[in-house]
Amino acid sequence: MEDQVIKGRGVISGRVEGVALVCPASITGWGGIDPITGIIKDYDNPNRGESIKGKILVLPGSKGSNGWSCYFSITRVSGANPKGMLITNVDASCAVAVVGLGVPAIVDFPRGSDPCLLIHDGDVVVVDGDTGIAIITCGS
Amino acid sequence: MVKLTDEERRMFDGGKGRLRQRAIENIVRYAEVLGAESLCTVTKATVFCGRHSYLDVCGSDGFDAVFSKVQLGSDEIIPFDSISPVCSTQSCVAPCDLTSWAPLSQSEEFFRLNQDYLRRANEAGVTIAGTCSPYLNGWIPLPGEHFVTTESGMTMLGNSLWGACCNSDGIEAAFWSAICGRTPRWGKHVREGRRGNVAVHVSATPNSRMDWDVLGKTVGDRLPSGAVPVISGNFVHVSFNNIRQFFTALAVSSNCEMCHIPGITYDARTREEAFDGISPEVSFSVGFPEMLETYEKICSPGEGPVGLVSLGCPHYDIYQIKRAAELVKGRHVEKDVTLQVWTTYSILEMARVNGYLSTIRDAGGEIYTSTCPTTIGRPFLERFPGLVFDSLKQSGSVRSSVSSPNYLADVEGCVDAAMSGRWIKEYRWRIR
Repeated sequence: MEDQVIKGRGVISGRVEGVALVCPASITGWGGIDPITGIIKDYDNPNRGESIKGKILVLPGSKGSNGWSCYFSITRVSGANPKGMLITNVDASCAVAVVGLGVPAIVDFPRGSDPCLLIHDGDVVVVDGDTGIAIITCGS
Repeated sequence: MVKLTDEERRMFDGGKGRLRQRAIENIVRYAEVLGAESLCTVTKATVFCGRHSYLDVCGSDGFDAVFSKVQLGSDEIIPFDSISPVCSTQSCVAPCDLTSWAPLSQSEEFFRLNQDYLRRANEAGVTIAGTCSPYLNGWIPLPGEHFVTTESGMTMLGNSLWGACCNSDGIEAAFWSAICGRTPRWGKHVREGRRGNVAVHVSATPNSRMDWDVLGKTVGDRLPSGAVPVISGNFVHVSFNNIRQFFTALAVSSNCEMCHIPGITYDARTREEAFDGISPEVSFSVGFPEMLETYEKICSPGEGPVGLVSLGCPHYDIYQIKRAAELVKGRHVEKDVTLQVWTTYSILEMARVNGYLSTIRDAGGEIYTSTCPTTIGRPFLERFPGLVFDSLKQSGSVRSSVSSPNYLADVEGCVDAAMSGRWIKEYRWRIR
């Protein structure tokens, strides 16, 4: 299968490649993630038990408490941070998180290019935060 | 490129000190990620002070190193010693009560460490309030006023009920804004971001505070990302406490920052005004069956022993404490059950003056301030065989960390559970 290319708005520069973790239901920040391990512990999250560490984290936007960004940006200190981020539509919490994390990030994908729909867990994704281009290679 | 005023440029260039420079650098970076073109002046802020558990990642580092690394994103140590002189800033909840530590399974050493964090914030200019509900202390933003807050329910309240302007920026950005007095002019700070884009019809008639709580999550779970819902229905039992409960549950189950309830909220008197000329992208209805499904998913099944009964999320106002005192008067909490009521220390003083504190204490309960169970965290929560909350937000946050049976009831059910020491099916929520 050919690689798929989608384009959004690159907001944190740099280019990384990694395995995708797609969270269509987003993740609650406050109380929903272990900042030391990066493991999702949200009680009603379909991705509960998975870790964001070293992944290309794909989210529609944020969810829950205003204590959201801190649970992501502090993973920069613990080393459990994702490698890169793709966010369908940026919101305030997500914007602060990507500033805090400083990892390559792309946001605001046009209709028809929603990374939450086009990328699946295990796909390998290249995130280019300078051009806003994400290249998806099917992982299966 | 973000356009800066002369004053902002001076700050950005370091003319107002390194702390403000770092704060506005972060705000500009944040604005660039959002796509904002300018900043607006922030005149109210709540900030998340205290030695919160997520800071454990930093080990034994001192206050300035932790603050610089986590809140400012800087390896350079920049002392937190001032805030914007035009921004009325108070603290949100911290992980400790204002005076007690042992009943909350905390050491004196940790309590003193938290006090030290609060003292440093206070010396920088933050008023220590220790509440998720700053409006209980008169911190109420006006229509059009730009504010930041670390509490999602407060974001919803300020935007929706009072017509003020706030995004759910978060912990770090609230500090940046409180320090430099600016936030990106984007989202709920501009008219376009406040337009309704989702139509929600509620066929049930919410009456009690718990009805509104359950309705909040029922709507929030169904909202697409970035929604500004316009909510219609037969809302005859509206009160401030019902509305803030609804907003709290709605905010915690979505990324919604604002909703319109025509005739009740500030920005729109009619449905047409709420949508401001655009058509809703999504429409849906919810009623009693959907609300019941929400409740049954979050409240543990069956019956069992109860160890902790917690009232006051968001922090109770004085009338809610009065009601709790009326319910416990002449009764006594079952042995091995802990009954706790959470509020601000200013409201605690009112409870003391009015006799509600002594009534609750006579019944075996206690009023605590400045924190809440989920903010205190696991060592405290894990000691109880069963947990009963009067709030979907508190119940949900705790459920993600602690696996004990976790029940949700209105204040009457909570008090009955505290008195009997058992959770029984009669306490389960039903719409009346």
